[in-house]
Amino acid sequence: MLNRKKPEPVDVIVVGLGANGGTAVKVLAEAGLKVVGFDRGPWLRPLEHYSGDELKFVNRDYMWPDPKMFPRTVRYDENAVAERFPFSPTPQMVGGGTNHWAGWVPRPRESDFMMRSLHGEIEGASLADWPFRYEHLEPYLTKVEWAFGVSGIAGADKYEPYRSKGYPSPPLRPTQYGKRFYDACNKMGINAFPIPHAMVTNKHNGRDPFNQTSFWNQYGDPSGARSNTLTSFIPEAVATGNLEVRAECFVQSVKLGHDGKATGVVYIDPDGNEVEQDARVVILTLGAIESARLMLMSKSPRFPDGLANGSGLVGKNATFHEYLFAVGLFDKDIDEPLNGFAGNYISGGSLEFYETDENRGHIGGSIISASQTCHPINWVFPGRPSWGEALKDADRNYYNYAMKIGLILHDLPVESNRVDLDPTVKDAFGRPVARITHSPHRNDIAMGKWQVDKNVEILEAAGARKTVPVYLDKMTGNTCHQHGTARMGTDPAKSVLNEWGQAHEVDNLFVLDGSGFPTATGVNPTLTMMANAWRCSEYIAQVYSKGREERLILSNTKR
Amino acid sequence: MTLKSEWEIVGAPVDPDTTERLFFTDAEWDTVEAATARIMPTDQDPGAREARVVVFIDRYLSGIDYVYAAADGSGFLKMSGKYADAWRARMDEMQNVYRHGLVRLDELAHSESGRRFADLSDAEADHLLELLSGAPKPGQVTLGTKEPVTTFLQGSFDEGLDFFSALCLHTRQGFYCDPVYGGNKEQMGWKFIGFPGPKSLKDTMDGTYSTAEYFYQGEFEWEDLIPQLKAYRDAGGTL
Repeated sequence: MLNRKKPEPVDVIVVGLGANGGTAVKVLAEAGLKVVGFDRGPWLRPLEHYSGDELKFVNRDYMWPDPKMFPRTVRYDENAVAERFPFSPTPQMVGGGTNHWAGWVPRPRESDFMMRSLHGEIEGASLADWPFRYEHLEPYLTKVEWAFGVSGIAGADKYEPYRSKGYPSPPLRPTQYGKRFYDACNKMGINAFPIPHAMVTNKHNGRDPFNQTSFWNQYGDPSGARSNTLTSFIPEAVATGNLEVRAECFVQSVKLGHDGKATGVVYIDPDGNEVEQDARVVILTLGAIESARLMLMSKSPRFPDGLANGSGLVGKNATFHEYLFAVGLFDKDIDEPLNGFAGNYISGGSLEFYETDENRGHIGGSIISASQTCHPINWVFPGRPSWGEALKDADRNYYNYAMKIGLILHDLPVESNRVDLDPTVKDAFGRPVARITHSPHRNDIAMGKWQVDKNVEILEAAGARKTVPVYLDKMTGNTCHQHGTARMGTDPAKSVLNEWGQAHEVDNLFVLDGSGFPTATGVNPTLTMMANAWRCSEYIAQVYSKGREERLILSNTKR
Repeated sequence: MTLKSEWEIVGAPVDPDTTERLFFTDAEWDTVEAATARIMPTDQDPGAREARVVVFIDRYLSGIDYVYAAADGSGFLKMSGKYADAWRARMDEMQNVYRHGLVRLDELAHSESGRRFADLSDAEADHLLELLSGAPKPGQVTLGTKEPVTTFLQGSFDEGLDFFSALCLHTRQGFYCDPVYGGNKEQMGWKFIGFPGPKSLKDTMDGTYSTAEYFYQGEFEWEDLIPQLKAYRDAGGTL
C-alpha cells in the first residue's frame, strides 16, 4: 500500500453525497466553508451515462452497489442466522438515491412530529416525539421545493398543514391510469391530487425539461427534468470553489481525538491507498444503514461500542417503510387501455387515510398513489405466470390493461429492529457488513392490510376485473427508505443526536440523513430529510462553526 | 484502476442473426433455443425463437463484455477493477449453473424418451420443464378473482438463481430487452406486447423519444379532477 501525502485539513467533511449530503455541501459551501465530500460510488455524468435501458438499470444494478462487493445481511428474528440479501439497496454514488428515485416529495404532517404525545405508550413499539415541530421545518420545506424544483398544485391537498408558498412548476397532465384513479376517488369522496414530484415542468433555475420518456423510477435521468442533487445542488456547491468531491473513495472510519472530538476520517482512495483527511466538523449522510455501520465501525477507547454510542442506541429503532400495493387487471376486449408504462411513475395520490382513526384497529396511516406498472421485462404483476402460453397470454392481454395503487407503510419503531455489524460477512475491502434484524410490529401488519384493502376498493371503483393485493409479512427494504438508527431527541440517554443532528457525545459530529428520524412518517421521507439537512447545515455554518451556541426554543403552538 | 465514470465504450451492438457461439456448444445452443421457445412460445405472434433469445443468453454468459450497453447503444462498457472482479465471479457461477442445468435437462430427456431435449415435441418438452422446475406448468390468468400475495423484493437480479428460474428470467430479458443486447430482434417483443419502445437508446437521451401521447388525451381542468382545489380557490386561496 502506497503512502500518499496527507491532504490539507478542511472545515467540513461530508461523507455520502446523496440527497442529504448534496444538500449539506450546497448550504455549507455557499456559506463559505471549505468542504470535502466523499462518496464510495462513482461521479457519473447523466448526459453521457444515462438512458432508457431496462436491463442495465433495473436488472443488472448499474447504479446500485454490487452485492458481491457490498453485501448486506438480514434476519427476521434475533436467533436466526442472517442471510445475504440486497436489503434497501440505494444507489451509492454521487447523487445517491436521487439518481434512481421516482421523486415523490409530499410534505410531512404535524402529527408525524408528535407520535408519542398523540398515542402514548404502544406495547412493543418505541414511539418518540421529534425534538422539533412541523412549523420549525416549514421554511426549509419551502426552500428545498424552490431550490430543488418541485411540481405540484398548492391547495389541492385538503389535509396539508400550513404552507408559506406554492410550487415552482405545475404537474404533468394525468396518465390514463391516473385519470381512472381521479375518477374512482371522486366517486368515493376521496381527495386525490397530483403528489408533489421532484421534477420541473417549466424552465426553472436554468433547467430546461424535456424528459417524457417514462424511463423514470429506477432509471438515471439524462435530462434536466428530474430533480436530483447530482445535477443541481452538487454542481452549485462545486461552482463556489469551496467543495472538492472525492468519488470512489470509501470512508472506513471516523477518527476521534483525545479531547473527544472527531478529527477527520480514514478512507481508501481509488488506487487502494489508505488516506487520512482532517477537518473541524464531520457530517455523516450515508443513509441510516451505512451511517450506523460507519459509527459502529469507528471504535475507540472512549467509545468501544461505536462512535457516539454511549447510549447503546446506534443502529436501534430502525424503520424502513415497506412499499405495499394492489394491482388491478382490466379486460382488453371491453376496457380502455391504461398504458402502465407511461408517466413519471406516479399520477394522482391521496392523504385521505393518513391520520389515525382508531376505528380501523391501528394507529397511523399512509400516503397512497397510482403509479406506473413499468416496463416489459419487470412489469409489476405479482403472480405473472413464469413460463409457457400463460405467460405469453398474460403479457399480451394485460400489459397495457393493468394499474397499481401503492402506499408507503408508516411502520412503527421497535427498539430491537436494528442495524449492527455482521459477525462473519465482509465486504470487498474486508470490513464487516451491515446486518439488519427486523420483524414488523403488529400495528404494521394491521395498517398494511387496511390500506391495501382500501387500494383494492379504489381499483374496483375504477373498474378493475381482477385484483392482486400485496400484504405485509416481512420487510424487504423495497422503498430504499431508511430511518431511525441514530435518533434525534433532547435526552442523551434516549437519543443519539440533538435537534440539530449533532451527536450528544461528540459535538463536532453531525448525522444529517434519516438516521435521526425518531419515527418514520407515512410519507416518502426525502423532502423532510433534505429540509432537515438544510436546517442543520445552516446551524453548522451560521452558529456552530462561529463558536456560538443557540438552542432551539420549541413553541407549542397549535394552528 | 479506471474510475467507473471513465469506463470505455468498446465493441458494437450484438447482431441478432449471428450463429457464432461464444459460450454454448452447438448442442447446448440447440437445447437453450428449444427450452426458451417453450418459455415464451411462438403462436400467431413471434416467441423467444424468433426474437433470438438464445443469442442474447449466449452473449451474456460469455464473460463480462456484454453486461452493460453504453448509454447510447453504440457498444458496451468495459468494466474495471473490483467491479470487473465481482462480475467475473458472478458469471463463473452462472456459467456453471447453465452447464449443469443443461446436462440435467438432456439427462431427463434421455431417461424419459431416449432423445435430446431439442428433439422433443412441445408437449414432451413442457413435461420435462415441469420435472425440471418441480411445479406444474403455470395456468392461465383468470379475471373476476382476488389473489393476495405477501411482500417480495421487486427487481430481478439473477445472482443465486437456480437453472430453471434463471432460464425463465433470461428469456423474458432476451425477449423484451433493448435490441442492442442481441435479443428482441426488430423489437418484436415490444411490438407483441404493445410497448412503444424507442428506436434506439440514443433517442431516450436527447428528447427524441416521448411517451406524451400515451398520457390521458382528453380535455380537462385540474379543478374538475380535484373538487378540493375549487373549494380552496373559491375560499380565496392564491398560492
